[in-house]
Amino acid sequence: MSASPPALELVGVAKSFGAIPVVRGVDLQIPAGERHAVIGPNGAGKSTLFNLVSGLFPLSGGDIRLRGRSIAGLPPHRINRSGLARSFQITNIFHRLSVFENLRIGVMARHGLRFGLFRPVARMRQVNEEARAILALVRLEARAEDLAGDLTYSEQRALEIGMTLTTGADVILLDEPTAGMSREETDRAVELIREVTAGKTLLMVEHDMSVVFSLCDRVSVLVYGEILATDTPERISANRAVQEAYLGEEPDESSGRDFGQDSGGEAAP
Amino acid sequence: MSPPVSPSVRTPLLLALVLALLIGLPPFLDLGLQNALVNVLIAGLFALAFNLLVGQAGLLSFGHAAYFGIGAFATLHLMRAVEDGLAFPTPLLPLAGAAAGLAVGAVAGFFATLRSGVYFALVTLAIAELFHSLAPHWEGLFGGEAGLSSMRMPWGGLIFGSTLEVYYLALGWVTLSVWLLWAYTRTPFGRLTLALRDNEQRVRFLGYDAHATKVIVFAISAMFSGVAGALQAISNETANYSLFSAHVSAGVVLNTFVGGSTVFFGPALGAAAFTLFDHLVSDLTRSWQLYQGLIFVLVMLFAPGGIGGIVQHHLRHRRQLDWSRLAGPYALAGLGGALVAAGMVFMIESLSVLFGEGYAVLRRDAGGGHPPFEAFGAQWDPAGPLTWGLPLALFLAGLFLIARARRDIAALWESVRSAPAGRPAGRGPEASARSAPSGSPS
Repeated sequence: MSASPPALELVGVAKSFGAIPVVRGVDLQIPAGERHAVIGPNGAGKSTLFNLVSGLFPLSGGDIRLRGRSIAGLPPHRINRSGLARSFQITNIFHRLSVFENLRIGVMARHGLRFGLFRPVARMRQVNEEARAILALVRLEARAEDLAGDLTYSEQRALEIGMTLTTGADVILLDEPTAGMSREETDRAVELIREVTAGKTLLMVEHDMSVVFSLCDRVSVLVYGEILATDTPERISANRAVQEAYLGEEPDESSGRDFGQDSGGEAAP
Repeated sequence: MSPPVSPSVRTPLLLALVLALLIGLPPFLDLGLQNALVNVLIAGLFALAFNLLVGQAGLLSFGHAAYFGIGAFATLHLMRAVEDGLAFPTPLLPLAGAAAGLAVGAVAGFFATLRSGVYFALVTLAIAELFHSLAPHWEGLFGGEAGLSSMRMPWGGLIFGSTLEVYYLALGWVTLSVWLLWAYTRTPFGRLTLALRDNEQRVRFLGYDAHATKVIVFAISAMFSGVAGALQAISNETANYSLFSAHVSAGVVLNTFVGGSTVFFGPALGAAAFTLFDHLVSDLTRSWQLYQGLIFVLVMLFAPGGIGGIVQHHLRHRRQLDWSRLAGPYALAGLGGALVAAGMVFMIESLSVLFGEGYAVLRRDAGGGHPPFEAFGAQWDPAGPLTWGLPLALFLAGLFLIARARRDIAALWESVRSAPAGRPAGRGPEASARSAPSGSPS
């Protein structure tokens, strides 16, 4: 036991929906502080993999370890409390609460205020300050009091990332954070992600190869529920097998974008 | 829809005024109205407790009579113990209802909240039906079909014999409970409750145990429902298994939605409106429940935010509204509503006479013909053009007036909407045209 265990480790992770295997034995080690992307064609099982790691679906086989400790079989809220937070591909916020309130709900969880019934939350300085700080971090101060449902799409995506940060997790899973964004919005989102995940471990699903190149240390290519290769972005894009399986389908870097067409088939059991 | 369930700006002032009226007015009212006001308080608290679940947590229960009834029976048991010599202060009797509601609510809530949506509603319905069917057979606990009875015992110089004393006891408990329910909305757990309504999945992924959270919300809602049931037991000094009936469960749903579940005090408004409506109308006509149902349907169709939604919408835009220009169309819409209501009432009352037992006897006596019938102090020919033409004319005239007023009102609200306001427009509980008092029978 010389080195510390990886921040996140997947060992033979498998998932079948009925008789249909969707994830077929994924092994992956992500050391602390790494920014790691999972890419792959539609239906490769990327979102399912995320849902397995974050506890939405139970595993069919294998193990998932967070800093060396197994989190397989734990319910989502326990996994979150162990220090792993995720965002969602389809924006998953509290539409009828204010933007500030959205973030504060998460901050409350970090402070263990799960059943706080005896003091108004408005008087909890620490909680409100931390929520303000995250609000500033995701640059939504101007919209603090607006309903989250009234935000623009890219603002909602920023809020989505902000909410993922609120609980103080140091392993962050982002599911297609830039899906559906324009070029400038994507650039801003990349800057935002770089900034807010500094010092944390990041695992993201991403279709936009330019995002992957500018942001990630290593990339795993998932095809038919199996990892084809894991390497630096440069070496991955030079990999013949990867080109055939995935990159070859897409003409070039600038059009390696995919407006969230990934949702079909693999998200729902 | 509206922003988080929370009182609006002017609320403190309004509340003080309402409370002052509730304290000062009743001694000057007749006994019947005093009794009606006790029922208003009880129904109001019940609706607010229920709305904690439906409006704030987004969990629609169809069986809240269970916790109301449990509160009533627990209190009656305590009252009987006091009768037998237990030293327990009468004003604190509702604590029994609160404790019983909380305990039963926690157990029932644990199972009901394992499911959501329709399945949750059906489980709550089944739990209430369970009590409803068991109570008549469990004589020891629920007094069989006759139920339990007891007497309010004097305590500390207070006799608790008069309705007025009961009223003030109820007012005290309702004020305390409503204050607690309101304070609840401002606690971390209260905010979490709203988040749960919006997106249960995200709540779980932020590290909260959604099921435990729902069980607690359910239990708190049941606890305050139990207090309401306790007050009913104290007021009536009796309770039987009919308290568990679907009728009681449906009543609180109706009150809550007519009052407006998205506004904190909305359900209390609905409860007050329907309880007073019952008091005033149930003596006049046997069709009062039909009218209640009609009002409910109309509110759901044309003002889904309920009475509270309409009030809140107007309060929020009060500075931008040109009341002098709105008054005319509103009066016109009110007149139209009255005409529609008059036409409807005439028709319904006529039909209820014609299809009633009394008229069947008349027909037999008349040898099978259709003799004239009496309604509203006049004789009407069942086949006469006037008998059906008059209500139809009233109805159509009313509709015409409402349609005209509605256009003006919509235009006026449109100008409010497009005007630069402090808060972005289009966030009212419903479209502006809908907030007109269109067609709601007066």
